Order: sequence, then C-alpha cells, then structure tokens
Amino acid sequence: MKIHAIAALACAALVLAGCANPERSRDLGNPAIAGKVLAQQACSLCHGVRGVSLSPNFPNLAGQQPAYVIAQLTEFRSHSRQDPEGFEYMWGVTRRLTDDQIAAIATYYAAQPPAHQGAEGAVAAVEVGRKLFLDGAPDRGIPACSSCHGDHGQGLATFPRLAGQHTDYIAKQLRVFQRTEQRPDGPAMKAVAHNLTPADIEGAAAFLQTL
Amino acid sequence: MATTAFEHRANRSVKAWWRLTACALALMLVPALASAIPLFNRQTGQNCVACHAGGQFPELTPYGRLFKMTGYTLGVHTSLPVSAMGLASVSKVANTSKSDDPAADFQKNDQLIFATGSVFLGGKITDNIGAFTQFTWDPYATTTDSGGFKGEFAADNMDIRYADRFISDSHDVIFGVSANNDPSVTDPWNTAAAWMQYVPVPSPTSSQFIDGASPYPGLAAGSNVAGLNAYAFIDQTIYVEAGDYRTAKGLFSFMKAGLHDADVTKLQGNNPYVRVALNHAWGAHSLMVGLTHMTSRVYDDPLDTSDPSNVDRYRDLSLDTQYQFLLDPHAWTAQLVYSRETHDYPAALAGQPSPFVDAHGNALAASSNTDRTRLLRAKLSYVYQARYGGSAAFFNLAGTTNTANQTSGYDPATLTITSNATAGAPSTRVNGSLTGNPATRGATLESFWLPLQNLRIGLQYTAYMKYNGARDNYDGFGRNARDNNSLFLYAWTAY
Repeated sequence: MKIHAIAALACAALVLAGCANPERSRDLGNPAIAGKVLAQQACSLCHGVRGVSLSPNFPNLAGQQPAYVIAQLTEFRSHSRQDPEGFEYMWGVTRRLTDDQIAAIATYYAAQPPAHQGAEGAVAAVEVGRKLFLDGAPDRGIPACSSCHGDHGQGLATFPRLAGQHTDYIAKQLRVFQRTEQRPDGPAMKAVAHNLTPADIEGAAAFLQTL
Repeated sequence: MATTAFEHRANRSVKAWWRLTACALALMLVPALASAIPLFNRQTGQNCVACHAGGQFPELTPYGRLFKMTGYTLGVHTSLPVSAMGLASVSKVANTSKSDDPAADFQKNDQLIFATGSVFLGGKITDNIGAFTQFTWDPYATTTDSGGFKGEFAADNMDIRYADRFISDSHDVIFGVSANNDPSVTDPWNTAAAWMQYVPVPSPTSSQFIDGASPYPGLAAGSNVAGLNAYAFIDQTIYVEAGDYRTAKGLFSFMKAGLHDADVTKLQGNNPYVRVALNHAWGAHSLMVGLTHMTSRVYDDPLDTSDPSNVDRYRDLSLDTQYQFLLDPHAWTAQLVYSRETHDYPAALAGQPSPFVDAHGNALAASSNTDRTRLLRAKLSYVYQARYGGSAAFFNLAGTTNTANQTSGYDPATLTITSNATAGAPSTRVNGSLTGNPATRGATLESFWLPLQNLRIGLQYTAYMKYNGARDNYDGFGRNARDNNSLFLYAWTAY
C-alpha cells in the first residue's frame, strides 16, 4: 500500500507539473506553442525530427521552400487540398494552426539539411526521368521539370523542392495532378501531367529522388 | 412438407448470417453514424489509418506507436473525451452433437448476438498526460439459474500516462510513466500479450473455440491488476520498460471496477515486469525484435489470501517480432511470438492424487509441482486500400502433462468415463481433458472488409489439429479436435 500511495502522490505531482509544457508540447490547438516545437514534437512523428522521413508515405520536408510549405499547410487547413494523403493525415493536424505557427514550421524545415537517401527507383527509370527533368518532351507538350523547379530540383518559392523527395510520394502526387482535381493549387501541374505516361511518372519520380 | 431438424438449423443459420450482413449494410447507410468519429480521431483530426496499420484497429503504425508512447497527448483537447465500441457476431462450432447438453455447451451457437460493447474515456489531458481507459459491457457475463444471461459492466484496458520527449541535435528520447492494469497493455507493438488477440471474444460458450479463445501469448498476472511502469524509447531504436504490478486495491481499485471479487487477480507483493525491444525502420519497412519477462505470484484462491504459501508462481518469458510494410495502398504485417511459461504450484496443491484411475483401475501419477508450456504463434496479414484484408495465423501450444489438469478419466468405481455428476470422478465433456496435457494446435484464416474506417466486418475460420493434448477423443467421450473448428463472423465498430 505504501508503494501505491507514493505512486499516487508521484502521479499527482506529475499532473500538476505537466499541465503546460510549451517547450515540448504536442498541443496542436494552442497558439502559444512555437512552430519549431510543433515541428519537432508533432510533425516529426511522420516527417522526421529534421524533416527527413523514413517512410515514402510521407514527403521529406528538409530544405523545402518555405512558401510552398506555407501554401500547403494553409490549403490543408482550409481543406482545399484534398488528395487522400492530405485529408487522411493533414486536415486534422492543421485545423487549429495559426498563420504564425505555419510560417515558423516552414522556416524550421527550410533550415534543415536536405535528404540524401538511398536510391528508391529502378536504374533504367532514372534515365527516363533525367531526360524529362532536363529537356521535357516538347513533342507531347511536357516542359522540362527544371524550368520551374530549378536546375537541381531545389524549387523556387511556391514551386517545391523535388530533389531527394521519395519516389513513391512524387509518383502519387503526379497521378493526383494528372487524374484528379484534388490539388487545385497546381493548375500548371495539371497541364504538365496531362500527357505523362506511367513510365514518365516512374522515371521522373526515380530521378528526382536521386538528386 | 415438414422441415427436418437439419433444414431448420440450416435456415436459422442462413438467416442469422444474413441478418448480420444486413445490419452492417444498414450501418453504412446511416450518415449520422458514418460521420461520427472516435476519441483519438477527434483529438488528432486524422483518419484511423494514420495510427492503425491498414486501418486495421488496433494494430499500430510507426506513427501510432509514437502517439501512444508520447502519452496520447498529440492533438487538441476534445470537448467530449468519450468513444464507444460495439461488436455483433455469429459463432458456429463444427460439431455440437457430441455433448450431453448442447444448449449449455454451445450457447447462442449460430445465432446473431450483440456480443460486447465498450466505452472509452481518455485522450489528451495536459501537455504531458493522457489516458486510454476502457470499460466493457458484457451482456452474457453470467448465467442465471433460469438459464438466462445477466450483463455486467466492468473495467477493461487502462493506461494512464505521463510522457515527455527530449530532442537534441544528436538524440531523440521519449520517456514516460504509466499507471495501468494489465502487464503489456502499455506496449506499442501488437505482438504484446495484451494486444496480439484483439477481436473481443463473446462470452457465450459457442465462442469457446473461435480464434480469440485459442492459445495466445499471455501473462499470468492477468488484466485487472495495478501496475506502475516507466519506459523510454531511445532514438526510435531501443525500447526499455520496467514495471511493478500489485493487487488493484485502495486508490487503484478503479482498475478492477465492476468485477466480482472472485474474478479479481490477487497478487502477492510486488511482481516485476520487464520489456526490451529493438526497433528499426527503413523506407516503408519497420521491424521490431523484443523480449518480455514477468514473474508473478498469484493467490490460488482470490477470496482467501490469508495463507501466504497458497500462491502460484509464474515465470513468463516471450520473444516477439513484428515486421510491417506500410505503403499506401498496401499494408503487410508479419508477427511471430514464442513464449514460455513455468508454473510452480503451491506446496499444498503439488503431489496430490488424481480422482481418476487408468482403464485397469490403477492409480494415476500424483499431480506435478511444476508445469511448463511453450507457445508459438505466427500471423501474416495484408490490407489493401485500408478496406479489404485478410490474414493467416498458426498456433501451437505444447507443455508438460499433469494429472491435475486432467478433467476427464476413468471413474474408479465403474472404470468408465462418465459425465454423470453423481459419479465419484465425473468427467467433463466438450472442453474436458483426458490427457492432462495442454497441447493445442491449429490455424486461423480471416478475411475482412472495412466499408467505413471505423467499421470492420470479418469472417474467421479456425481449424484445430490438436486440442487438450490429443487429435482424437481428447475429452474421453469421442470428441475430436476438428469437432471444435469454428466459424466466427463479426461486425465491429467504434464511434
């Protein structure tokens, strides 16, 4: 009984001590929590502490363009981005984020060193992707990816960094742009993706991940 | 033309199964229910699939494990920290004819029942404290004298945590403390004893052979005790946990709330629990290999703890491993557990004569001081689009023979095996044991469908190759292991 009484007192002390912990909070509804804290304590569960996600289900965010991250989080929050990965995972966690928190999260990820993970796609596909990235396919109206996303796939403002992104994630998003209206923020990508073949998608995704 | 008894049974069977399917379809058509969401879902705003592998609750994804280890504190405070869960089912045993009293031995066989329901309270309480507490209503908890059933509401899983996460440039450490009522309920992997078997098992005896009632890893201390554990998850690689369990009483009485005193596990003193696991994730893969050890001293008679020597001592050791491949739309999980239990009986119960004799009237060996069992259980499951899934599982329980575990045998007066209650040594039909050996082997195939993220409709078929130590005539009355093969259809939902 003595041990249990001590345990109960310890629990009560922890309750009192633990009411607020703004330095290490996972509270997604408290505007006082810093964006960096949320990135490390909450976003990191899928995207990694430094924005490098192990699972290809979740995009790498390290080194991502802050304007792009702000745009995506804002669109998840307003439910205008509707792809399954978006609404299944992101709608809920962004619903109470403030603009300041979103901006701070974007700044945090932009400052992290970009990912360089092992190759995920097939070697043959990489070559297909390299050509698309550098030259596009003018005969089919497909511009070079690098024309908007940068010579090294580093992105620019709301054009996201693609270099080092997971193959599976890029392929899924290209299919979202091509086949659905679930990402209304990307009308340019809708046009670009229209004529992509499955081999193009596989190639582009494989190549970009190796950058 | 009058229907035969067989046709009548067959018609009833078909009706019951259609009724369950119709209920499930009806649920899908009710928009109010379809838009309702469970507690953690409301807290994080995420779909079930974020935390549960392929949406297959309660199996956790890597994210779900971190959510649990960080004390259920991620998300926002919810105004209604309550959820509910219900299970409707039909169980059907292959052979119900080998019984003196089929109505008692196979209660509700082949009938649609509302099997069980739970209420959950918990979620995020503070930045560091969260809870997962479950109270369960069992409509078939006890049988009345008139042969009816009486429902009861009692404490189920309880896990109240304090957790913190320290992140530096080189390390990521989650640390936590849990007050809980079931050794391993704190565990984030679903090969843990408290979680590997998860579909609730209905109490009526027609469900006594379904997969959930077949041998699963377990810890002898049971599920209504009081424990305090501390754990750490270091760099998402090393998981260590240590805890101590005692009888749930005093301030911790709520952890056994609603249970009859005779059903409460009474532990002697402190009972240590240790868990270590190595976790590695790469790409869409994750692999865990772990060990669990617990020593528990359980009073043989929960209603009389006056004699400190009347205690059963158990040592449980299990090796478990779980592999997951989770990449939308695919979710693969492979699980393997090997567990060993040593059970030392109190001195007063060891070396006791058996009431049974052999076929020639000779006395059987006296009861053993110690029993040892070894259980292997393996399962492979796949879910597509968090909607369609299936699994195959194998289990093999082996152990020492002990005449104390023999519940069937030759009556010394008549040298027959009889279930006549007035006999000197009556035997038990259907779940009796003629061998005194626990060996039970079988396999389960399951397919399931999640028409909604919080509704699962599953069909399990469990086949036995061996039961209570024998393939054939395990109860002494001609019942064979395969007679226990069972079909279990369920609709399981949570809101």
